[in-house]
Formats: sequence, structure tokens, C-alpha cells
Amino acid sequence: MRARALGMVLAIAFALSPAAMAQEVVIGALSDMTGATSDVGKDYALGIAEAVNYCNDNGGVNGKQIKLIQFDYGYRVPEALTKYKLFQRMKAVAIEGWGTGDTEALAPTVTADKMPYVSASYSGHLTDPKKTPYNLFAATDYSTNARATITAWHDTRWKKHADNGKRKPRFACVYMFASPYASAPIKAIKDQATLLGFDIGPDQDVSLFAVDTKSQVLGLKDFKPDVVWHGNTTMSVSAFMRDAYALGLGADHIVNLWGLDENLPRLAEKAAEGTMGATVCAFYNEPNIPLMPKVVEYAKKYNPGVPQEKRLIRTVQAWSNVLALWEAMKRADKAGALNGEGILKKGFETMKDVDLGLGGAKLTYTSTDHRVSGSVPVYEVKGGKFHLVQVTDIKSRWPDKWPTWMGW
Amino acid sequence: MSTSFLPCGEYHQNYHEDHAWWQTKFIKGKMVLLMLVLFIGIPSVADSYWLSVCNQIGYTALGALGVQLLIGFCGQVTLGHAAFLAVGAYTSTLLILEFPWPKFLVELGLAYPISILIAAIVAGIWCVLFGLPSAKVKGFYLILTTMAAQFITVDFVITQYISQIGGRGQAFSLPPGTIKIGPWVIDSDLKVYYMMLVLVILLTALVLNLLRSRVGRAWVAIRDNDISAEVMGINVVQYKLFAFFVAGFIGGVAGAFWISNLAAISPEHFPWFWSLWLVGVILIGGVGSIHGTIFGSIFMVVVMELLQMAVIPLASSFPKLLMDFLFIKEAAFGLAICAFMIFEPNGLAYRWWQSKNYFNLWPFSY
Repeated sequence: MRARALGMVLAIAFALSPAAMAQEVVIGALSDMTGATSDVGKDYALGIAEAVNYCNDNGGVNGKQIKLIQFDYGYRVPEALTKYKLFQRMKAVAIEGWGTGDTEALAPTVTADKMPYVSASYSGHLTDPKKTPYNLFAATDYSTNARATITAWHDTRWKKHADNGKRKPRFACVYMFASPYASAPIKAIKDQATLLGFDIGPDQDVSLFAVDTKSQVLGLKDFKPDVVWHGNTTMSVSAFMRDAYALGLGADHIVNLWGLDENLPRLAEKAAEGTMGATVCAFYNEPNIPLMPKVVEYAKKYNPGVPQEKRLIRTVQAWSNVLALWEAMKRADKAGALNGEGILKKGFETMKDVDLGLGGAKLTYTSTDHRVSGSVPVYEVKGGKFHLVQVTDIKSRWPDKWPTWMGW
Repeated sequence: MSTSFLPCGEYHQNYHEDHAWWQTKFIKGKMVLLMLVLFIGIPSVADSYWLSVCNQIGYTALGALGVQLLIGFCGQVTLGHAAFLAVGAYTSTLLILEFPWPKFLVELGLAYPISILIAAIVAGIWCVLFGLPSAKVKGFYLILTTMAAQFITVDFVITQYISQIGGRGQAFSLPPGTIKIGPWVIDSDLKVYYMMLVLVILLTALVLNLLRSRVGRAWVAIRDNDISAEVMGINVVQYKLFAFFVAGFIGGVAGAFWISNLAAISPEHFPWFWSLWLVGVILIGGVGSIHGTIFGSIFMVVVMELLQMAVIPLASSFPKLLMDFLFIKEAAFGLAICAFMIFEPNGLAYRWWQSKNYFNLWPFSY
């Protein structure tokens, strides 16, 4: 009798103990719903919450439910810092971050705190584990994408160009100089352009908020570029394309990831025809993608007020980052190390050729290289729709250079 | 508003007493208590999050102090002060990263403190450059010239040229251990907090002392009526430019302090909105009051964070509250400024002054 009573007391004590109550895993998310990158940030933010619901409906982290604390920080770095501290206070084990500005700014802090920070910034600067071990993302980085896209343009368009063999192709970059996101792959893409034998023209500074870019278009007219690389987000990129079309610039456009989504052909219409760009996953509701029906189902279930035609590839990108973190947390938890260091070492860095089922590259992270892959699908706009042009594998094409391209 | 009444029964018998910083034993006691709270109380109870909030208040206060000096005491409206914070931050960072410091200075932990001082001076001089138009223009026209400081400094000079130094791209990151003052490596929120406290206290004392001097009286005279000030023999241009220098100097210190908080900077840390925010801080705190600068900083940072804390428990039932909070926060910022302009144009500092005098004069507060 006494033993039974003691057993009951112990059972109740255990039930009330923090260990037993900790059946929740907290993750934080910084989103931009109102700031400079909100044109692409809103959809991404919705995708984060929907994907976390999907993870919880499928068992959470080995039975532990994921609690998501999500804040809109308006793309303001000082605000990102206090929110980050708030996440720490709320015992978050990992963070789903957003832009290059806050991600690069917080990089020294998350490294010191051993806090996995899975960002929507795919800056190449974050891929070297020696410098930023806790910065991760489930995508090929901007620099790899930029190299792949300009290579794809060179392979497909320039080879058919009338001037091929007569002169060098002319190339220029258009982006917001002040934005760490937009300028992150500049060094890499110019390096690749030099490698492929391009003439590089003057950079043009276009704000992320730009609605009129005529002066920048005119700034390129004398150079007569064959191809222009865009580093900004969709709104600004479409503004430039419209102006370039109206002023007869005559260049092809290649676009960084955050400027290339379903809104681009809607906003730029004819001016966007032929635009090329790399993606890190399938477009929203793209057929023949294993997990896409779930993505759409959860979007309809949790955000029925947002029309389906307004949903973008950003949702799928958010899913990729959440599912990668989920996988890493499950592995870390299995290894008995569901903490920052465990999620990195026992989670992410044990992942080899993991297919998330979202149409992106298979993910491989090692302790010496956080670039997930060198293989990048490049799409182009035809008739207002995206079509796959080629998958450029820059890792196997330049195997000797690939290791030296890490971290920039 | 700047004069507080002495408590009932207190009389000054000489100028020394009249000019003393803390004029009664009770006030001295209060100040000791305040220091104890700031240096011992808060660090012993606040966790990393609240310390970071305090650091945010300190950064805001340091930034707003220069704006207060220009707008509140010298009457020179500025809407580009984030530029001078940026100059301070970049100067300090570049000095730490690129300057060939003698080994003994690095070992003694003097590189960062010296860089703060140089950053402050550079920011002060840069501020004077953009203060030069104040010799000719005022009011709205001066606002536009100070706004030019923001765009020329951050969007042009820093983004296009300064950011490219060392080939790092836009974001500069400071390796661990480089931000060091004497034997202390500034690598935790607590150490940043202490550094912030010392800087805020030193600079507040500097500004208060300047305001008690001939310089401060000249600034106030210029603010109240520059023509009368000139008639009285004040060199208006010289004093205006000196005000710009001191405001830029303080901004430079604020910027150099900011890098200790993040160990990284990029031009995006100094948007034009931040200049506007700093003006909002002094409007809510009280224009023409050093207390107001501190109160405004506390209000703008803490109240917003508290509101957020209030939202978090509700978020499990209404998840969209967290995401939509920023809209509410923006609206609250705008509403607070409108409300203060209409109902309390002298800001929070006036309420503080009223309540302090009430207690000082009690029981004869009529």
C-alpha cells in the first residue's frame, strides 16, 4: 500500500516536472510582412506557419509538438536583435530567420550562442562553417545560383546569338548597392562572367522600393548589354524590366531568386518574357512535385482568406527551410541532443542527399561545407509561365574551382 | 521647465550651493539609489532579453541626445541624424579591422576605446559639414539639407565606397575578441549594458555641463531668437556649427557603441526611418529636456516591448496577433506622437517636472 502511494506520488511529481512538461519544442521565426522585402516576405511568413502545422500533424519532433513564435520585424536590424533575444528568453532551440541584413548582422551572435539560424537569406557568405557554423538554409546559395544562371544564359542564349564568336557578350548588374541581400553574390557573378569571357559594364543602383528606373536604364544604354543580372526583389525588378522594355534596352534579363516568382510575369508582362533565373524549389502548385499537394492543402486550410492565385514560390521556400530544420531536429532528438549544437552536429551535418520532396536540390551538409549542392535548376519565362531550361551543375563542371568558391 | 523648485524649507546661502549638481541630501540620496539600481539592481535581475532591451534604450538615448541638442536646445531641426551614427559605426569598425594598431595598444585593450573617440570626432566633423547650410537657411530648408546628410552619407558614400573597403561586401563583421576595453572583452549583453551605462552617463553629463555654460546659453538664445542672439553679440554661425559638432560627436559615440552590441554592421542598420524615429523620441520625451531624451527612449523601446509581451500570451488563441503586431506598433508610434503633440506638447519630461515639484513643494504645493 505504502509502495503504491509512493509510486503515485512519484508519478505525479514526474508528470509535473519540467522534463515531462517539456513536450514542446520552441522555434522562433523572424518575418518581414511590412518592410522593404515584404513583397516576398508575406507569402514566406505564411508558408512558415503552415509548414510548422504540417510538421506537428505528422508527429512533431519525435512526438514533441513544435511551438512557433513568429514576429514581423519589418526588416529592421535593431528590432531583429531584440526579437532574437526574446526568442532566447522563450527557450527557442532554433530560429527561422529572414533577410540577409539581419542574418549577416546576427551571424556573430548566433555563432557565439550556438543557435541554429535557418534563414531565407541564401547568401554565399553564410556557407563557410569555419566562419558561420550556425547559419544554414535548405537551398543553393545566391552565389551558386548566380553562377549557374549566367552559365545557363551563356549555354543557351549566347551560343545561338548572331554575334557569338565575333565579340564578347556584354553583361551588367542592377541591384540596390546598400542592400546586403542584393549585393551578396556580386563578386561571384562577376567572377563567373570573367570566367566565361564576358565584358562587364557599369553597375546600376536601383532601390528595392524603385518604381521608376529610367535613369538607370539610360545609364546602361551606351554599354548595350546583352544580359542584365537583377539582384533585387520582384517589385523593383519588374519596374526595371518595364522601363527597359519601354526604352528599348534590348538586353536579356537574369534574376536572383527573390526577384523571380509568379508575380514577375504578372507585373512586367511582355517585358518579362525570356527572363531566366535559378530557383531552389518548385513553383507553388507545380505539378509532379511529391509534397506539393500538402503545401496547397495546408495553405487552403490555414489561410483560406489568401486566394490561391496569389500564393507564390515563397511558400514552398518556407516549407523547404522548415522541413530541413524539422529533419535536423528529429535527428538531433534521436541522438539525445535537441539543442543548438546537437541540431547542427547531429542534425544538419548528418544529412546527405536528403530530398524534401519540394522540387529542390537534395540537401547535403558537411562539417566543412554548408553549400547544399552545386546543381541548380534554371527556369525561363515563356508565355507568362515558368519553364525549366536546364539544370546547371557548376560543381561537376568546375570541380577544381568549386572548393574555392565557398563562402563568397 | 528646466528649473525645479527646491523642497520646502531648503534655502541656498551661496552660489556654490546654487550651482551644485545635486542640491540637497535627499537628491544626492536619490541619485545614489538610482546608480545602485542601474549598476547593481538591473543587472542582477534582468535576463539577457531585458538587458538587450536596456541596451536598445541606451542606443536610442545616445542617438537622440544629439538630436535633442540640435532641435531642443539650438533650434536646428535635423532629419538625418542616423547618418552620423553610421559615420561613427563605420569609422570605429574600419579602425578596428584595418588600422595597423601597435601591438601594445591591442594588448592593453585600447584599440576600441581610441576608435570610439576618433569615430566621434570624425562624425562630429562630418556633421559640421552638413550643418554649414544652417548659416544661411532654417526651418523646412534646413530639414531638407539634413535629410541630404542621410542620403549622401549612407546611400552614397558608405554604400558605394566605404562598404567596399577590404572587399568584404556590404556587411562588416568583427571577429570575436576585437571589441575590448582594457582587460574586458565586450562579448555579453551584461558587458554591453555596463558600457552603455557609462557612455550614456558621461555624454549626458557632458551635454548638461555644456548647457550650463556660456555655450549652452548661446544655443538657447539662438533657438529662441537668432536675430536677438546676434544683436547680443553671439556669433550665431559659430555656435550653430559647434552644436552640429557636438551632436555629431555624440552620434558617433552611439554608432561606435552599436557595433559592440552586434559585432556586425551594414548600411541597412542606419535607415532614414531611424532619423525620424529619433525625432519621435524627443517629441514624446519632451523637446528641450535631457530628461525627456531618456524618458522618450524608455517609452519608445520599453512600452513597445511590454505591449508585445502582453500580446504573447494571447497568441496561442490568436496567432495572427504576433504577426500583425508591427502594424499596431507603427500605428501606436504615430498615434503617440499625435497624442503628445495635442495633449502634452512638452512631452513626458513635463509630467516628470510637475510631479517632482508637487512632492518638492508638499505640503504647500499651491
